[in-house]
Amino acid sequence: MLMHVINMGHDVYKANDKLAEKNRKKLDKHQVFSINVMGAIGSGKTTLIEEAIQHLKEKYKIAVIAGDVIAEMDASRFRKLGVPTIPLNTGKECHLDAKLVEKALDEIDLENTDLLIIENVGNLICPVDFKLGEHLRVVIVSVTEGDDIILKHPMIFKTAELAIINKVDIAHAVDVNAEKMRDDILSLNPDVPVILTSKHDWESLETWISFIELGLLKTQSN
Amino acid sequence: MHELSLACEILEQVIATATAHGASEVKHVTLQMGRLTHTNPEQLSFCFKAIADDSIAKDADFVVEMMPPSLECECGYTGTVDEKQIRESSELKSELLAYVAAMKCPICGEQARITGGRELIIKSIEIETENEN
Repeated sequence: MLMHVINMGHDVYKANDKLAEKNRKKLDKHQVFSINVMGAIGSGKTTLIEEAIQHLKEKYKIAVIAGDVIAEMDASRFRKLGVPTIPLNTGKECHLDAKLVEKALDEIDLENTDLLIIENVGNLICPVDFKLGEHLRVVIVSVTEGDDIILKHPMIFKTAELAIINKVDIAHAVDVNAEKMRDDILSLNPDVPVILTSKHDWESLETWISFIELGLLKTQSN
Repeated sequence: MHELSLACEILEQVIATATAHGASEVKHVTLQMGRLTHTNPEQLSFCFKAIADDSIAKDADFVVEMMPPSLECECGYTGTVDEKQIRESSELKSELLAYVAAMKCPICGEQARITGGRELIIKSIEIETENEN
């Protein structure tokens, strides 16, 4: 009997990061701009994505990866809008990872895609640690989650590249100050763009949609 | 709850390395976990033991060493978040939040960039082999 110590130094999260980097290169090769939409259950991810699809689909070729514990429900909402959608059932898992997205990319005609929208599983915690290969990390939070939600989940806001505070039209009804939420986000991540949105305020939706279009134009000019 | 899938990945890597080195048994598994990951070390340990049940790692000690976050600032400062200071501060409610709140550069006060603290590293394993090989 002999005992040995073997130094491994294998970083599980880095292994995911590496795979995400591979996904990113694949997307870049086909000039696809991709966004990872994160946020809690009921924050309005699916609705804001639907709005973006509706107003961008004439101009750009869009594909969606819908991640959920049971992904088919959201996927059918996107398919109704006429965009190819890959449902990613995570089963009991709380987040998407680069491996799942790699598999989904195989099912998408990337040559005929300009914009890939990835809707992550509704969760403010687990998706933070898993990069997917996206170009833009978006977090959506709604006023109904309470105005202390941001400081309770700092890492997702610290690492986001775009933050959206949604359902601001009902902030008063739920006794929440959306401006405080904005300040909290900026205290964690001073340079992140913050958009206040409401489904019933077209101008606010336009800001969100223009932000995506900006990324699309940048990708296409490369 | 993603500790189970992480534990599966860890077990797979551990068994592959141990087998490649001719192990008959894995005695210790040492992990390093950054404090900014959203991973619970007790749950991870529980999951690992549950799935390692019928493997050569079934009796392994599973040790998780926590690693503090490290920061880098545009002003040139690089350093590690002082864990002691955070532990002593009663105003900071949760541990993770405490670390993030402390993530201002101690020199210039600007928000610093996180350069470490989000790792989950299988640092080393200790194995037993039947023969010398």
